[in-house]
This record gives sequence, C-alpha cells and structure tokens, in this order.
Amino acid sequence: MSLAFLSPVAADDVAIARSPMERMAKAAGAEFEVRDGWNVAVRYAGETAERTVAWADVSHLRKWEVEGQGGEFGVARREGDAWVCPLTSDRALVIGGAEPSPTALDVTCNYAALTILGPQARETIARFCALDLRPQHAPPHSFRPGSIARQPGMLVVEAEDRFLLLFGWATAEYMWTVVADAATPLGGRPAGIETIETIEATEDTDA
Amino acid sequence: MSRLPPQPGERIDRQSVLRFTFDGKPVEAFEGDTIGSALFAAGRRTFSRSFKYHRRRGLLCCAGQCPNCIVAVDGAPGVRACVEPVKEGMRVEHLNAQPGLELDVMRATDLVGTRFTPPGFYYKTFIRPRRLWPLYEKVLRHAAGLGVLRKEQADREWRTEYRRRHADVLVVGGGIAGVAAAKQAAAQGADVVLVDEGQVEPVPGVEALGRATALGYFDGMVPVWQGDTLHQIRAPAHVFATGAIEQPLVFAGNDLPGVMLSGGALRLLERYAVSPGTRAVVVSTNDRGLEAAARLHDAGVTIAAVADLRASATEATRALQTRGIAVLQNHTIVAAEGGKQVTRATLGGVEGGNGAAVGGNRAAGAGGNGAGAAAGAEVSFECDLVVVSGGFAPATSLLSQAGARTAYDEARGHFVLADLPPNVFAAGEVAGHADPDAAARSGERAGRQAAGGSPEDAADQPIEQAPTAVPPPVAGQTHGKCFACLCEDVTAKDIKLSIDEGYDSIELSKRYTTVTMGPCQGRMCQLASIRLMAQETGQSLQTVGTTTARPPYISVPMGALAGRPFQPAKRSAIHDRHRELGANIKWAGDWRRAYDYGDPQQEALAVHEAAGLIDVSTLGKLLVRGSEAGEFLDRLYPNRFSDLKPGRIRYGVISSDAGRIVDDGTICRIDEDTYYVTTTSSGAGAVEEWFSWWLADWQMDVRLTDFTQGLAAVNLAGPKAREILGALTDLDCSAEAFKYLDAKHATVAGVPCLILRIGFVGEVGYEIHFAAAHGEHVWDALMQAGREHGIRPFGLEPQRILRLQKMHILVGQDTDSESTPFSAAMPWIVKLDKDADFIGRWALEHYAQEEPAARLVGFTLGDGYVPTEGAVIIDALGAPAGQVTSARFSPVLDRVIGMAWVPAPLARDGATVAISDQGRTVSAHIQTRPFYDPEGEVLRS
Ligand code: FES
Repeated sequence: MSLAFLSPVAADDVAIARSPMERMAKAAGAEFEVRDGWNVAVRYAGETAERTVAWADVSHLRKWEVEGQGGEFGVARREGDAWVCPLTSDRALVIGGAEPSPTALDVTCNYAALTILGPQARETIARFCALDLRPQHAPPHSFRPGSIARQPGMLVVEAEDRFLLLFGWATAEYMWTVVADAATPLGGRPAGIETIETIEATEDTDA
Repeated sequence: MSRLPPQPGERIDRQSVLRFTFDGKPVEAFEGDTIGSALFAAGRRTFSRSFKYHRRRGLLCCAGQCPNCIVAVDGAPGVRACVEPVKEGMRVEHLNAQPGLELDVMRATDLVGTRFTPPGFYYKTFIRPRRLWPLYEKVLRHAAGLGVLRKEQADREWRTEYRRRHADVLVVGGGIAGVAAAKQAAAQGADVVLVDEGQVEPVPGVEALGRATALGYFDGMVPVWQGDTLHQIRAPAHVFATGAIEQPLVFAGNDLPGVMLSGGALRLLERYAVSPGTRAVVVSTNDRGLEAAARLHDAGVTIAAVADLRASATEATRALQTRGIAVLQNHTIVAAEGGKQVTRATLGGVEGGNGAAVGGNRAAGAGGNGAGAAAGAEVSFECDLVVVSGGFAPATSLLSQAGARTAYDEARGHFVLADLPPNVFAAGEVAGHADPDAAARSGERAGRQAAGGSPEDAADQPIEQAPTAVPPPVAGQTHGKCFACLCEDVTAKDIKLSIDEGYDSIELSKRYTTVTMGPCQGRMCQLASIRLMAQETGQSLQTVGTTTARPPYISVPMGALAGRPFQPAKRSAIHDRHRELGANIKWAGDWRRAYDYGDPQQEALAVHEAAGLIDVSTLGKLLVRGSEAGEFLDRLYPNRFSDLKPGRIRYGVISSDAGRIVDDGTICRIDEDTYYVTTTSSGAGAVEEWFSWWLADWQMDVRLTDFTQGLAAVNLAGPKAREILGALTDLDCSAEAFKYLDAKHATVAGVPCLILRIGFVGEVGYEIHFAAAHGEHVWDALMQAGREHGIRPFGLEPQRILRLQKMHILVGQDTDSESTPFSAAMPWIVKLDKDADFIGRWALEHYAQEEPAARLVGFTLGDGYVPTEGAVIIDALGAPAGQVTSARFSPVLDRVIGMAWVPAPLARDGATVAISDQGRTVSAHIQTRPFYDPEGEVLRS
C-alpha cells in the first residue's frame, strides 16, 4: 500500500493545498495565487520594501525526512533550493526543493512555516523564543531545533536577518498570533512570498 | 518648600517644570525629579500608612529599598515614589488609608488595637465564632494589602513585553565595580549586559539597561524587570556588583516620618536639591553617617546633635569638629517622638561607653536638655530630621540565590560572602570593597574572570574601612513601638513573643511574624530580626543564620510573571469549518475541538439513520517503519502485530510495566515494514515518547515518525456512508471488497487518502486520513456528497453517546491507573502465548490468574435519570463499591446507558446495582455486552 496519503500532492487540480495560516493571512490583506497546487499568500495590500520586520507564511515549502543523511550538528546545508537540516547523525529534514530521494518521507504537513526577516527579526524572535540567535552564536546556516513560543519547533538561520521557523501544523494559528503580537509593536507586518523571492534573487545576484 | 539653591551634580532641570497630581491636588516638579523628591519639596512628609497599624510613614531610604513611599500611579499600585520619575500629568494616589493619608481611621489599630493584633493574630483573634469568618475575612482583606486594582478590566491590563537575551556575561549593578566589570569583560570580547536599578551611563560595547532590576537567579537565567519589559537574560557567567544596603536602627519611634537613612537624606539633597530637614539629629555606627552630617551642615541644615556608637573618633569625626559640630561617642538614639513627623530625638550612652562628647558645641543645640550626656544618661533634642546609619549590609540576596554562601562577620556586624559557585563573581561593596579604587579593581578582576580570562592578580583584601560599631538589637528602654520590620509592622516585641511561643528559628519566626516577607524583601529588616533572634535565644548570629533569599527581589506586577496572553492551542486543519458551522468548541487536551453543532442527540441519531461526519484529526498518528517494526509493536502491545496482514487493522491496548491500561488505538499494516498506529487524542504525545524511549533502549531497525499534526482525519459513519464515499472515489467500497478492519489507499475527492474501515461509533464507518493541507477540501467534498443523503457533522459529545452504545472504552475516562485489560473486560487482547516478551507481561500473567475485585461493565437505567460521571455504586450495606465512569441518554435506544466499575460478583448480565448520586439512589441493571448491535452485524455489513 502506498504512503502517498502522507503527501499534500493532490491527484487533480480540484484539491488545492492550503496553509493553516491562510485565514490569518487573508484577514491581514493577503493576495493569493495558486502555485504548485498550493494557495500561497504572494503579497499584501500596501506592502513596501521598507520594513523593520516582516513575517511570511511559507508552509507550502515541501519537507522531507531522509535517512542516511546526517551532517554537522546544528548546521543546515544549502543544496539547490533546499535546506538539509540534520536531525540525527543519519537522519535529516530537507526543506524546500524537489523530492530528494524515492525513499524520502514526505512530512510537509507536519510543519507549518514562517519566514521572519528584517533588521528587527532577531529582536522579534527574542520576544517569544529563548534560542540563542546572536550572530556570533547562530550565523547563517545555523539550524536550531528547540522550543519556539513554548511549542516544539525548529529554526534555520537563512541569512543574517532572515529566519525560517518550523512548528506543528496544528499550532499555526497560535504561532501566527504570537509572531504578529511580537512583531507589530516593532513596526512589523506580514509579507508575501514575492518579498522573499525578491530578496533571494538579490542574494543570488550578489553571490 | 524645601528646595535648595542649585547643588553640585543635581539631576533636575530647573527650566523644565512638570505638573502632576497627588490625591487630586496639583504638584509641581522639575524634570528629573522623582515623585518622592517633588512631593517632599512641596512639603509632604507622610507618604504612606503602615500595613497593620496604619502609622504614618515618610521617606526613609530614597532608593527604592523600603516600603515607606509606595503609591499608586495612574491606577497601578505598588510604585515606589522615591525612585519613580515624575511624568507630566501623572496621577499619583496614596494607598492603604481611609479616608485619607492625613486622617486614617484604621490608625485605631495602633492606638487601641495593639493588644488584639500580635503576630499571627488572624489565627488567634478572628477564629470564633467560625460562622463569622466570611465577615472577618472581608474586614481583614479590606484593611490589609497595598492598594486596590482598578475595577475595569481594561484599566487593569497593560502590555508587558518579554524579551529573551543571551549574553556572555551579565553584570548586575551599575556602580563603580559593576561598570568596571562590564568594561573589562567587553574589552575581552565578551557580549555583556549591564543592569542597574537606577540610571546607568552608556558603556561602550555593553548593552546597559537602566532602571532595570534583577529579580532573581534561576540556574543562570536572571529575569530583569525594566518598565513594562521583562528581560530573561541567560549568561554562562555573572558578576554581581550589587553593593550594600544601609541598615536602619531599631528604637522607639524609628518609623516616624523624618527618620531617614543617611543615604536617603543625601540623595534628596544631592540629586534633587531638596533639604531633608532644617534641624537634624544624626545617629551613626560608621563614618558614612558622620560624613552625611557634614554634608547636611554644609547645605545649611542645622545639626542639633551627632551620636556615634563607636568609642573613638575618626577622620570623619574630626571633619565635623572642624565645622564646630560635637560628636557624642558611645551614643545612639533611644527614641524619636512626634505626631505628623519627628519633633524630638533622645540620645543615650551605651553600656561601656564613656559618653564623652568630642570637641565642638557638645549637646548645646537649642532645645536640648542642656545637660551633658553621661554614660547611660539620656539627652533630647528638638529636630525635624533624624538621620540614622546602622551600617551597610552586603546585598547578597541574588548571590545567595545563585548558590553563594554567607557567614557572619563579627567585626563588621553583618553577613559577608564566604564562597561563590563557579562562574559567579562578586565585585565592589558586596564583596567587601567599599573603597572606590578597590571596588573598581575588584570589578575589573571579576569582569576579566567572567569573560574567561585569568584573574592576573590576586584578589584585593577588602581595605579596612574606619571601624563600624555593631548596633544593639534594640536601643534604649522600649516604651514605644520599636519596629524591626517596617513592611509588616513587626516590632522587636513581636519577635520576642514569637520566640516565646516556640517559633525560635529565624525561618519559623519569618513565617509566623511575616518579618522579611514584605515589599523590602528583608533588605531593611533581615539583619535586625536576626540580631533580635540571637539576643532572645542566646545564640550567635552565625547560628541563627539568614532566611532563604527568594525571588522576586522587588515586587513586580503579576503581568511580569504571566507571559503574553496566548494559549498554545492546537487546531485541526478543518477547524475553521467547525467555526463556520456554529460548533460549540471546547478544549480537549491541548486541542480546540467541536463538541457539538447545537444538537448532540440529533447528531447521534443522524449517524444511525443516514450519515455523520466527525473530525478526528486530533488522534495520535505514528508511522512505524523498518524491518523490525512488527516485532517492535509486539513488544509494546500485549497482542500481536507481526502477523497482521498488510491492508488489515487490529485494535491495540498499550499497557504499562505494571499491566495497567495507558492508551489504546488501532494499528494498520501498510506493507511488510510499515505500520500506521493511531492513539487516543490525549495520549498522542505520551505514546510517541513511550515508543521513542523504548526504541532508544532496544536499538531495533525501526524508524518512528509522528504525523499527528501533519495528517487530517475524518470519520464518515452511518448507513449511507458507503454510498457517500463511493461517490468520491474509484475504490470498490462494497462490503465484500472493503471489509471491516480493512485498510485501503485511494483518492477521495482527488486527494490521496488512507481509509480505515473501523467503527468506533457502531455503524459502517470509514476513518479517512490524508495530508492536513487538504483538510477542508476533503471535509467539504464529503459534506457535499452526503447532502442528498442527510449527512450531518457530529461532534465529540454525540461521538461519546455512540461509542457508549458500543461499550467502547475511553481510556482515562472509563479506566484509571488501576485498570487492566482483564478488569476492563478485554482479556482477549492479552496474548500470553506470544513468544515475544512484551511490556507488562509479567504483571498481566499475574492478573490473568486472579479474579479482579471490580470489573468494568455496562448498565441501563429505566427512569431517564442520567447519573453524574463519578456517581457512587453502593453495596447492600450502603458502602461505596464502585463508580460510574460514563452515562448518557441514548436517543436510538431511548434509555439511559452507562459504564461503571462494580464489584466483580455483580459484573454479570441481569444483576442490579444501586447508584447513589447527588442525594438520590437509583437502581441500574448490569449489561456486559454492547447496548447497540451487540453482535457487530451492523458494523460489519
Ligand atoms: S523611601 Fe522609597 S523605597 Fe524607601
């Protein structure tokens, strides 16, 4: 029997996959587009490039659990479009990108995800999370499983001021509320994934 | 007005005038003033009324250390006026006095009620008659406390920020030593945070938090309260440069407004250019008190007398003499008198002292009794200010919390640090380095060590300061009240009484008298109470010891401890549909679940008559993979799974080592090496941990992945369920092709699903599991397809009715920590003939041999009464013999059904038992087989 039921890939176009934060994003003014079978918040009304901190729902990123791939403790590797995050010495979580191997287990919906970015991103995260994210202790590519807002979660330092947070799918509404509550007094607002794509494209160009 | 001309280093901006109100009356202040300094400058001397006796209290320390100036600001109680900066328009109000500060009717407690208010009076006085306790409680509650919160919820709430900060070194205390430590640690490349209760100057490379109080020490984490922000600072190394706290003296009338610590008087004078009085009596045990006298004199305050408890003159004595001020050596204060504030102070020679005045105009101040003060004789002086300095006790509270030990130093008369735990350093006066240069050196040294450097030099021995005298526990003949503890109004006499009553250790006395338990947290009273205890018990101060230092160091709003008001709720991927359908949503463990959609009975009936759909996404869902997956499950469950055929499902009960039921669920074999395990919703986390724990121990070729949140699941049940499902899938759903306890993979409404044919609710049922991202899509498709068949969503409550009809247990509701599969009527699940050893085997072999005392059975009731869950089963003699675990009215059976633990001899069909519940007794008929479809024909059809 197949394990396809674990995967959010539907057999036809009728079933659009939805993030558990879709309604929160909609209420915050998100505009959506269907991308690769997912209804994705691409931009927000009035969104500007100027920001102190922003958070973007990236729950649609595919996630895979792979065996036989470990890595350096606490360090995520960038492989193509994916982050390879070692969970144990021989087990890794792959975030983003295509299916890494036929034996990889699709755990996409186990984790909802938010990207938090901007100069105040660290300060925002410090309002609800006790992980040590000081640049000297958590440089880009750091991977930190731990408690995020009192829930089990994981965090990838994607760049100097950009963090990818993963947490239980069922806790997503709570987590959006917590992040918005922390970020808003610091001038934060939600961002669509176009913002992230633009930043990533700039980074690629710079590289 | 007591505002002085500009003083060197004053912190006020005389060009900027601010206005605020105190008890509704306008007050003017300068920018930089505290509420306390502004009110004092405006002539106010009484700032609060005391806790028990409602005596007047005025500024004492001017450093936020004592309880005397606590007020409410803009409705928020618990604010110390002496350190709270004035803001334009702020509304300041007194606390704890009715009708007002100047006239407080509760003062009667002091004047006539003292006899009725000894320590622990509430245990003694207000206990009879018992029925009046609610009234007493009301009166006591009204009389006690430090302020009243505003009535309106919105006014009681304000936003508190919580900020986690990691640092390499945390320095607590922004004085000379603390700043030196921070600078040194930062110079060595450490990431340093410096916090201080007062203002801190910026230190390059250091995050300096001013007006920020370290509240405690929790295994390296120090919460720091700053304004409306709680910083949780974690650091591997800490430097405590917390200084020393000036101690008051214990004498009659020592709480009168106008009795002020030397540091408090100087702060008023130097920071805010406010004269603390016009005519002062200064009483000291050390040089700093004498230096304060000189400074006050220089600022224009008349010094009526100076008493020094020490026998010999020092440099500071001579500095006073050059100003023409006499110092009474071997003298101390024995009483202060006054009404609204102090008007007279009486000094007396101490035993062994010579009573000699050294130079100057000895005891010649106007209003003095004119006579020379001989040893033991007393001399009084008119004054409006009594400046006292009873020595400086190291502020070791945080260090003690961090694990430092203290020991009593006879020479200094206070407790000093004896040793420090690793990575905890002390610098400055708390470590005995009062001299500024020595304090700076000790700070540098501590900073260097905290940053991982070597000490480089040997620690300075504390520079011997001019000697300090140890004050007597109580000075003089105690005609009036001599307060050891100002916060809780505990007098020297109260401590003596508590010892007489048997509370003869400092910790017991603390609990009984509440000394050290008030807002000052022992800073003003710990040493005094220890001295009193030592005197009364004849023990040394070292033997008496200190009370345990506990957080918080200062009083903080509850908000500082509460966290942001968000509950980490779990919600299924279909949760919003339930909201839209008007579901009654409640907590179920850490999930928010639909209990019903308005009519649980009709929802249950719909499952029997047509179809129902329930969201069961909260079930625990574990994928167990690997060549030894079957054997792994065989070891965890009392029944077998290694022989389960792929595509089939089996029920399983997890038992503990002791053979007790801990969880249950279904196990589906997906392929040779893959099993899909479901658990109860509430047990999901514990079962995952249990599996992981054993897996780590057994080291089998098994991988475990928790899909509890990643998969949505719905249960479609009822006579129309097959048709509804069939409309959305290519799967052959016929009874022959898709049998009871079969598992199939298929697409439903285009979504890949695992479909389990199981029936918790007693009708043909399909439990459909699929990726959570498709939760609403699949739910909508099933509801849509079922509309023409009369489908209804059903919640947890109708599910409980339905499962009860089938007598399916709910672990934790129908079972408890003593329930075994045998007593819970499931002996068939235990396969003692299994080759593999399994968890609980030894205990279950034992239980298999003996008749349980009680068994879980079903019962029916005839008269429509639904007993409370927990109602008592009583035996023929009326004694408790069991309890009801579940009871509901079944709409399809049209009667009340339930489950209960009953004595084993009664656990047979046809027996009757009596249920005693809420004052009535009803007779129930026992049934051991399911109430609905006992043969399972419907289920299998
Ligand atoms: S006078 Fe304000 S706390 Fe002591």
